[in-house]
This record gives sequence, C-alpha cells and structure tokens, in this order.
Amino acid sequence: MSNSTIIIALSTITTGIMLGTIFSLVAVGVTIVYGSIWMPNAANGQFFLLAALFAWSASVSWGLHPAVAALLVIGISVPFSWLLEILLVRRFYDVPNRNISYFVLTLGITQVLTGIFSVTYGVWSDQFQLPPIVKGVTFLGPFPIANNRLAAMLIAALLLAALFALLRYHRYGRALRAVFQNREAAALRGVDVRAIYRMSFILGNGVIFAGGVLFAFAYAVDLTVAWTMSVTAFAIMIIGGPGSVVGALIVGMVFGFTQAIVSIFASPTIAAFSYLGAMLVILLFRPSGLFAR
Amino acid sequence: MMPKLTRWWPHAVFIFAAFGTPVMLSGNRYFAFIAGITLISVLWSTGMNLLYGYTGLMPMMFGGIAGVSAYSTIGLVAVGWSFWPAMLVGSLGASFIGVILGLPSLRLRGFYFTLCSLVIQTVITLGFVYFVNLTNGDTGISQIPLPGLPGGGRLSGLAYDLVLAALAVIGVILLTLIVNSPLGRRLVAIREDDGLAETLGINVTRQKLFAFFIGSMFASIGGALYAPYVGFISPRSFDVLMSLNIWLMVAFGGRGTIWGPVIGAVLLAPIPFLLQDYYTIKDVVYGLLIIGVIVLLPAGIAGGFKRAPRAAKPAALKPEPAR
Amino acid sequence: MSLLDARDVSMRFGGVVALRNVNVKQEANETLGMIGPNGSGKTTFVNAMTGHLKSVQGEILFDGSPILGRRPFAIAGAGLARTYQAVRVFGQLTVHENVEAALVDAARPLDTASLAETAAWLNLDNRLDAPAGTLTLYEQRRLELLMRLVQRPKLLLLDEPVGGLSSHEVRAMIGLLSELKARCTIFIIEHTMKVIRELADRVVVLLAGEKIADGPPGDILADKRVIENYLGNVDA
Repeated sequence: MSNSTIIIALSTITTGIMLGTIFSLVAVGVTIVYGSIWMPNAANGQFFLLAALFAWSASVSWGLHPAVAALLVIGISVPFSWLLEILLVRRFYDVPNRNISYFVLTLGITQVLTGIFSVTYGVWSDQFQLPPIVKGVTFLGPFPIANNRLAAMLIAALLLAALFALLRYHRYGRALRAVFQNREAAALRGVDVRAIYRMSFILGNGVIFAGGVLFAFAYAVDLTVAWTMSVTAFAIMIIGGPGSVVGALIVGMVFGFTQAIVSIFASPTIAAFSYLGAMLVILLFRPSGLFAR
Repeated sequence: MMPKLTRWWPHAVFIFAAFGTPVMLSGNRYFAFIAGITLISVLWSTGMNLLYGYTGLMPMMFGGIAGVSAYSTIGLVAVGWSFWPAMLVGSLGASFIGVILGLPSLRLRGFYFTLCSLVIQTVITLGFVYFVNLTNGDTGISQIPLPGLPGGGRLSGLAYDLVLAALAVIGVILLTLIVNSPLGRRLVAIREDDGLAETLGINVTRQKLFAFFIGSMFASIGGALYAPYVGFISPRSFDVLMSLNIWLMVAFGGRGTIWGPVIGAVLLAPIPFLLQDYYTIKDVVYGLLIIGVIVLLPAGIAGGFKRAPRAAKPAALKPEPAR
Repeated sequence: MSLLDARDVSMRFGGVVALRNVNVKQEANETLGMIGPNGSGKTTFVNAMTGHLKSVQGEILFDGSPILGRRPFAIAGAGLARTYQAVRVFGQLTVHENVEAALVDAARPLDTASLAETAAWLNLDNRLDAPAGTLTLYEQRRLELLMRLVQRPKLLLLDEPVGGLSSHEVRAMIGLLSELKARCTIFIIEHTMKVIRELADRVVVLLAGEKIADGPPGDILADKRVIENYLGNVDA
C-alpha cells in the first residue's frame, strides 16, 4: 500500500472515530432525555453550538485556559438545565401526549437560540475553534494527527464508557432504566420518578454540552453546525431506537464513519440527505428503531 | 349541513375588512404591502388550521409545499406560460407531491408524524439549496415578474392586493363549508381520537389524505402568489421556520375555530415589518411566542369562542315534525 | 351460517403466545359471553377480531365473509362494532357531536325517529349539549352504547362493560344489557361470572390464551377445570 493510501485510510478512520464518538455522545444525551421524560429535544444542536461558542468566548475573549473553559461550560450546563427544567419542562410531566408539546417547545427554543446566535456571534460563515490544550503532533505511521484532536477523541471515548458504566452498574443508572421501561412500576418500587426526570434532563444536556466543547477542540465550528447536529442526533436516536443508549452508541459510530467516508467523495449535503433518508425509512417501516428493547 | 344564513355575519365583516383595508391603505404602498402579506398569511393559516386545528396534524412541511409551488410557477412562467395556468399547475403539482411525500407518514401518530414531516421539510429545503440549476440555490431568485393579466398589462398595486383579499375570503369560506360538512365531522373525530374514529367506521387514512391535499392547495396557491408579490424568494423563505410560524398563527389565534387563526395571522404577520431594523430579533420573538403559546395558551386566544352557545336545539335527536 | 366464526385464532407478541388456536362461534341473536382472568387474552381476542392487530393467524368469518386482515374501519362498516375496556368517548365534544361522529360513516345508520327513541331509552336525551368528558362514568358507558347502536351493528362486542361502575350501576347496566339483547346481538367479555351468568346463553372460558371450556353458564359453573383454574381463585 502506498503512503498516500495509508494516510487516507488512517485519516478516514480517525475522522470516523472522532465524529462517531461526538455523534454518539450527543445522541446518547438526546435519547436519555427522550427515554425518561419523553422529550424529543429539537434544540440539541443549539445546545451543542452554545457549548462550543461559550467555551470559545471563555477561552479566546476572556483568556481562560481552554481546559478551564471547557470545564466551566460543562459545569454551567447544570444550573442551565436545572432552570429550564423548573421553568418549562416540569409542567408537562403528567400530560399524556407531552412528546409533541415538548417537540414544539424545543423548536421554539431552537428559534430563540438561533436568533441570539446570529445577533451575538455574527455572520454564519464565521468559524470558531478552541485553542488546543495539548500541543504538538503525533505520527501514526506516515499520518500526522494533532495531539489535541487525539486528546479530544480519547476524552469523548472515555466519557462514553463512563456513561455506559453509569447506566449499567450504578444505582442511578438502574433507576433510570427502570423508569425508561415502566414508570409506574418504578414508582411502586420506590424510585423517585420526578427526581430521575430532573437528573436525566441535566445529565442528557450535560453530555450534549460536553460533545459541543470536544467538537470545538477538534474542528472549527460555524453556526450551521447547530441544524446539522440536530438532524444527525435525531436521526441517530430514531434509527437506534428512542430511549436506547446502546442504539445511540452503535448508530452514532456508524454515522461517524459514514460521514468520514462520504466526505472523501461527496459534499456533506449528500451525507445529510442520506441520514434523513435513513431516518425516514426507519420511521416508516420500523418506528421503534433497530435496537429497541 | 349549511349553517343558518345569520351565522355568516362574521364572514361579511371579514369580506368588508379584507377588501376595504387595501383600498384604505392604497395611498401608502408600504402599509398596503404589509396588508397584502397579512392576507396571504390568512390564507396560509386557514390551510394550516384545516390540518392542525381540525384534523390534529402538524404538517411541518407546509412551507416546503408552498416553496415547491412558488418555484414551479416561476419556472413555468420562465418558459413562456401565462401566470394563472402556471399557478394552477404549480399548485396542483406541489399538492400532489405533498400528498405523495406525506402519505406514508399519515399512518404515524402524533409526534412521529410531526418528526417525519419535519424531516421531509428539511429534505425539501436541502433540495432547494442543492439543485441550483432549478432554484438558484441560496442566492435566491429576484426580480420575479408580476402576473400577467388576460387583457394585457400586469397585476400590481391595489389590484394585486384585492386578488389576495379575494383568495383569503374564499379560503375562509371554504374552510367554513368544510367544517360544517361530513368531512368536517370526520376530521374533528380524527383530531380528538383517531383510534376511536376508526373503530366507528371512519377511514382515517383517506380523510387525512383529503385534508392534506386541501391544506396543501392553500399552501401552494399562497406560495405561488407570494413570490411575485414580494419579488424575491430563496430557500429560507419556505423553510421549517416558515411552517412553524404559520403554525404559530393558528396555535396563538386558537385552533379548531374558524376565526382564531385569522386573528392570529392578522396579529403576527405584521411583526417582521415592525421589527424591520431588528430583523434578527424576529427569530427570538417568534421563538418566545411559540414557547409562550405552548406553555400558557394551549387553546389559543380564541379558545373561549369554541363553545359558543347554539341558537337552535340540534334537530337530529328529536323526531321531525310532520311536514 | 353463523354470525361469527373464529377458527384457530393465534397471536404472538414477541416471544409470548397471547392466543393459541382459539375457536369461537356465535349465532345471530345468541348472547355469547367470554370470561377469563386478567391477561388471559380476552382483549387481545377482541383486538384481533376488530382488525387492531397485525400478524394474527387463523380465520375469522363474520356473516360469512372473512375479516381477518381488514382495516378496523372496514370491519366496523361490515357491522361488527366494539366498545373499549376503559371507556372511550370524544371527551371534548358534546354528546350530540359524539353521536354525529358515529353517524357520519355508519353503513346502515338509524333513522331519526329511532335515534331519538334510543337516546331516550339510554337516558341521554337531556344531556345532548354536555361535553362528553363531564358525564359520569355510567353515562359515558351509555354514550358508548348509543354511539354503537346508531350504526345498527350486526354484532356488538362489549369489552368489560361494567368496569368501574358501582354495584348499583352494575345492576342497572345488567338490566340495560338484557334489553339491549333485543336490539342487537351481543358478545360480552368480562372477568367476573356475575354479569355473564345473567345475560349469556353460552360462555367461552379463556385461560392463558387458550379456550378451556365452551357451553351454557350452568355447565361452565360446574366444569372442574374451570373451577380449579379460575372460579376457585377469583370471586365470581
């Protein structure tokens, strides 16, 4: 194999892993919130972007060390989600068809954030990238990869693993899965369902924020990322099965690799078309998703 | 069953207002333009009302259908067609496309239907951007020619406004007739509980299809007339936010009533013009309104009108007097 | 030709067999009852008959025509009506509007005079303008019956028609249902023998998706297998 082929292959693989882990993180965040409180969060892309932009402001405009900025942003997501939960989300917990109310509610939030972003962060073609935490470059064979990007990839993968462990082994994770399956039964078993709701919302959003920050370390972000991410995350969630964390993980990785491969040959728009097409196919023929329980 | 003649008085008021406003404002082109846009919005919100208010569907692809019609009409005119047949063909075509795209998703319930139609809308918008040869992509199409008139000359100014008024009036009358017809009764049953409606013998999918087609026609005709009136369109003109904002007019004004969405359109359509200098704030305002509507006013501001007392006791359950 | 002839009806949900080779026959004007403990498959059977389930195996003939695989609205149009275990009416619409919804696509609607008479018989003629959601449970159950009767069904499946009613209302409902028999053939699904015993000409007993007995109420009450598996444990 010639050097250039190896380089292309390695580049595609690393891009695939990078995108895959980020996609999975966001999709897991979205699916946790949907599985627990039935909220399809159409604003997930705006949250993703919000995290990236805020981290950028913190590190570039205010001069904080990028690692500090990242932690700050993820930390702020907690009171942010908490506030949203109290003001807007909580009131629907007992409403029967709340998923559609939530969906439109989050579309409204999307619109508000879109407006705010275009006012505060300027023209859509501007690009933002976080300054690196780790400098330097590593060589995988002939292929150079920025250490920063490598670090982001590792952290994303670690976060996913931690999430998985949390949901599988920790008490909270088991309670969450119990609520996913059957909230009445869970309530009867002594689970504080409303507390679980609140924590899921905070956790889910926190994960999305983390994804946004990590993405901004690895790539330059522009304002269109929000819509693209929302569509992708929804597609992953629907295809993987709403509420299925495993599904979000697997399908997220598949999407990451698909995008990496497709970008070699065609424009990102084609990738978007294909996600939407796949989502439509699943919606029409197997709405419960591929990995539904 | 036609409502009694006396119940058409709000329509009479509306006809007067719809035609009268452009006449009154004909001295000031800017205000007349706002009135014209509002009239198109009335047509759109009435179509959306049929789908959302009376059938319970939230078709997020409404904007996309309007766009397909607008682009098709412009395309046909560009190859030599006269505007009016172009509008008819463009609208019918867009509505058929809407039905075909929407048909598989009509089986889906509630949120899944909305999500599916959102995806379809996104695909349509992406299509508008991607197929640059047909639509000029994100740059948009400007200097759209005004519709030609049969006797020569072009439709413009006050005459255009009056045509828009006529369509808004026809739209509202049509909705009134539908609502009071068997189709209307079926749609209301479907809106309330489509499973129960089906158990009672109503072919839910077919009725949704009818509603979808008729609603799409409202979207399409509005779209075809919007383009020359404004003079410029782009994929942004017919994207998700447009569908959402028309939906907002219905939800804000009061779904399931004839006049609620009309009021909603009249109140909300002029907003972008009032915020002319702060056009980016428009998104924030609309977004907040959507959130507000969902949280505070689930039945819309006209929700109180819904249970208007009926003058006549329903005749069906009492034996008819001998004639 | 039987009015209803369900042969070897089987249905699985994932790994669970909900119905196994259930055979049920009903003649016109014969009141059939079906009992079984909760989870025995009664409502699944109703859903299978009325087209609300996919992948049902077997054969179901209604008035001689096969109905398995047809859509619910078509089956309703053929004259097979059903009510729901948890009462289901259009809560936001008035009683009058509910009836209109039942009439709009009724294949053989009741004429106006009979309609008024039926509404009066069910004691709903003075509640026409009330939103259905404001009616008492018993009134809503009667509204359900009214909505089916105006369609003049050939067979009416009643899924636990006395669920949630007070004992006084249950008595009244039993009286109503015995009068109902004269207007329409009915098939009652219940999980207590009390209602079935007074109304049914014949009873089918379902246990874990299988039919374990089929005969007049007297025979069923004496059937050893029924007593062992069912009557002994549940108060009848």
